[in-house]
Amino acid sequence: MDYSQTLLVFVVLAPGVIFALLALVWLAGWVPSERFISNITGVTFSASILALALILWRLAATGSPSVSVTFGNWFTVQKYHFPLVLLADRLSLPFLGMTVVLVGLIGQFSATYLHRERGFLRFFLLLHLFAFGSLLAFSAGSFDLLVAGWEIVGITSILLIAFFQQRTPPVENALRVFAIYRACDIGLLVGVFAMHHWAGTASFDQGLPRLTGLQSAVVGLLLLLAAAGKAAQVPFSGWLPRAMEGPTPSSAIFYGAISIHAGAYLLLRVQPMLASSVLASALVIAVGLTTAIHGTMVGRASADAKTSLAYASLTQVGVIFVEIGIGWKAIAVMHILGHATVRTLQFLRAPSMLHDYHKMQSAIGGELSPTGQHLEDLFPKNMQLWLYRWSLDRGHLDTILDRWVVYPLMRLSRLLARLDYIGIDRPKDHWKDASVSIHGNARPGSIG
Amino acid sequence: MRSQPWLFTALAIGVPWLAAILTAVARRRAREIGFTAALVAVAASALLLRATPPRESLGEALMVLFSCLTLGATLVLPRRDCNGSTIGGILFLLGSTLLAYSTNDLRVLLAAWVLSTVPFFVKQWFRARIWRPRLGLLLSSIALALAVGLIAAKGHNMSIGSLQGRSPGGMAVFGLLVLAVIFRKGILPAHAWVADAAEGGPAIPTALLLNGHFGAMLVARLIMPLFPYTARDLFPVLSDLALATALYVAIRALTENSPRRLLAFVALSQSASILAGLESRTAEGITGALVHWFVVSASTMGLFGILRLLEVRFGENLTASRHLGLAEHAPRLAVFFIVFGLALVGLPGTLSFCSQDLLIHGTLASHPQTGLLLPIATAMNAVSVFRLFARLFLGKRRTGFTVMADALPRERWILTAGILFVVLGGLFPNAIVTLRSAEAEAVEGAIDSPADRDPAPGYKSPAESWSKDEGLRDGPASHRGQQGPSAFDQGPHGDFER
Repeated sequence: MDYSQTLLVFVVLAPGVIFALLALVWLAGWVPSERFISNITGVTFSASILALALILWRLAATGSPSVSVTFGNWFTVQKYHFPLVLLADRLSLPFLGMTVVLVGLIGQFSATYLHRERGFLRFFLLLHLFAFGSLLAFSAGSFDLLVAGWEIVGITSILLIAFFQQRTPPVENALRVFAIYRACDIGLLVGVFAMHHWAGTASFDQGLPRLTGLQSAVVGLLLLLAAAGKAAQVPFSGWLPRAMEGPTPSSAIFYGAISIHAGAYLLLRVQPMLASSVLASALVIAVGLTTAIHGTMVGRASADAKTSLAYASLTQVGVIFVEIGIGWKAIAVMHILGHATVRTLQFLRAPSMLHDYHKMQSAIGGELSPTGQHLEDLFPKNMQLWLYRWSLDRGHLDTILDRWVVYPLMRLSRLLARLDYIGIDRPKDHWKDASVSIHGNARPGSIG
Repeated sequence: MRSQPWLFTALAIGVPWLAAILTAVARRRAREIGFTAALVAVAASALLLRATPPRESLGEALMVLFSCLTLGATLVLPRRDCNGSTIGGILFLLGSTLLAYSTNDLRVLLAAWVLSTVPFFVKQWFRARIWRPRLGLLLSSIALALAVGLIAAKGHNMSIGSLQGRSPGGMAVFGLLVLAVIFRKGILPAHAWVADAAEGGPAIPTALLLNGHFGAMLVARLIMPLFPYTARDLFPVLSDLALATALYVAIRALTENSPRRLLAFVALSQSASILAGLESRTAEGITGALVHWFVVSASTMGLFGILRLLEVRFGENLTASRHLGLAEHAPRLAVFFIVFGLALVGLPGTLSFCSQDLLIHGTLASHPQTGLLLPIATAMNAVSVFRLFARLFLGKRRTGFTVMADALPRERWILTAGILFVVLGGLFPNAIVTLRSAEAEAVEGAIDSPADRDPAPGYKSPAESWSKDEGLRDGPASHRGQQGPSAFDQGPHGDFER
């Protein structure tokens, strides 16, 4: 193993090891100080940035397109094996760099922002676990390993949405987001199993698995489902404002920078597969375009800063999906890097910006004149009102999901419960109001 | 050396039974007696496992697993429940279960099967109004007793080893054994007793009863080796029923508010897929099923143990219909709960991620519907587990409690051991997977390679007996019995390949 391979392993594993160590010492009864936690976070990500810089320098010096580390198989059963391959190529390196730099910055910002917060250690534990999951997903040499990182990102995202656990809305919204994540992840899981079934492998360190046109279309559509869920694309956009319940630094890193772009990364990774199917490419473009329009309209009707920013993110990710669907991979990657950086800054700046606005408004004795609201003036007045109502209810997407998916499922569950209790005394309230959490309780404008 | 396996088996089974009797005398020392007896069972089972070749070690591996679960139960059992009666019952259950895993005789298996249910009848563990668990256990015992009786009536040897591949008793015995599995495992439509037992029975002993997975054991050790041809033709029906159960109870759990019932539904849904994996006839599927068996057992025991600890601390009226905010009072129990819960539903980094990967991959080849529907059931189970976690541990703290009621050191260490098993097993799964893989090959071989065994005199394959005796089938199937088992494997286009 040469030093660039060692460095790649270090970059990926370091946050995971820190998470494990901090979790174990907490379980043993020791709560590390804030200073210790922020220092160890700073050192870890500074070292990771340095290591990644060295990997880049090494690649530039040798002209090699990628660094890959093969650990053999995680487990093997006869012909089936789960390969453990880390890969840093031209696609994953920008994402790895973006992750270590932005997570390191968020770590430093949060040390002050969450000072004396009760969940300080919990936040940093989850931040390290999230960084590990993201780095694992972006450096995976196979879709199997990508699934592992992908799921870890999802779990940490949920636990950070429920960070303010004493309040009910964040907890219920976390559950709603979790349900959507899990539903969409079925696409990823089945897509990967389909790749194994048809191509005998899900590794991409030697190129994508070889599939026929129809198989590519099926796998592409399944992966699009997963990517759309993770990137909050239409029709799954309803979870994004609910996710704003978490602390601002986590909103910045998840929904401004890394998690929201994980879906785009997945599509970039399988772009040649998508390109071989007109249907899959067209659907990617359609989803992205719809989301971009939806995002910009709903964002304009949002009453709070974080939700506006979240929908602005959504608009850009929608455009990125369109770029991927068209096949502009390089532009999409540059778009992601630029967008993630700017949006993280905007999220982090949002609380103090609101404070500044209030000061300015106090100074001038009134409200500042609104900007950026000229586009809707192009529509007729009665349509403007209709569009406003539509945007205020976030495109009715949650209502549609509830009415067509959640409520029927809950009704079926209650029917099965009645069948279960035939012949015995029914315990009171055991299954009456359990569904509240699934269809959530977030109200437009209630978050911020 | 030859006598050592017998000695280890006798120790593993006899010591818990003797200790069960001893707890009736020394009631104040019940936990110490229970812990010591379970520890002896763990050591003896581990030595037995070590002395057994990997391909034949399924029973021994299960003995180690169940002994470890019981050892954990004796430690995690709250003081309120830790009386001579409960510990005695648990130890009796341990001895009976180990006897069932270790025996090679059908009569002994039947006896162990029945004995394992005795504490739940004798000690009145189930409340009087709950009758379905008793009925489920009773019907499963009757079905197995009839099957064993029919085999004996046909004059067969009662040794499992000598009956392999001979379809003793034909379709009637096969059907009775499948019925025994359905009732004992809680497969649709006999699923309701599992939730009733979890809710109305003592939490930890009931979790042990369910985690004996006698139904899956019967499939792996009896049905598939004894009825390879019938299993190949008809077992997919049971597999589909198991899949339907996994989906049914996963949907059912979505609106369940009783924490015990909800956990029982999730555990049942996750464990039902074990049958689908065992039936997949692929090494990956069977290995996945066996590994899944281990991880589901460990996670379920952990979850039920934590739930009981919460009930003892915060009252038995816990509900998932509102937020209780218990993480404020018991943060470590909250962490243990979410890790065990997510381990049960396939969180990456835990052993169940590997087992489900193998299971779904293995079943995708033989039954695409399983590969598609299991992820859906698992996704719904994950939502249910997270909902239960959120409702129990998150939200506004309960003002009635002002003290910290977190895990005691005794509970903390044993729960940490459970977490380490599922997490380290997930990070380094090869050791566990390789062992299960060897056992899986033996199970797979029992179905796919019956050619090297001599059929019993006068043996008729199920298809043959159907076609000749009952007129249900005819055609190429009738040739199988005449040509012997070697004619059964006709490659992918053979008459009996599905």
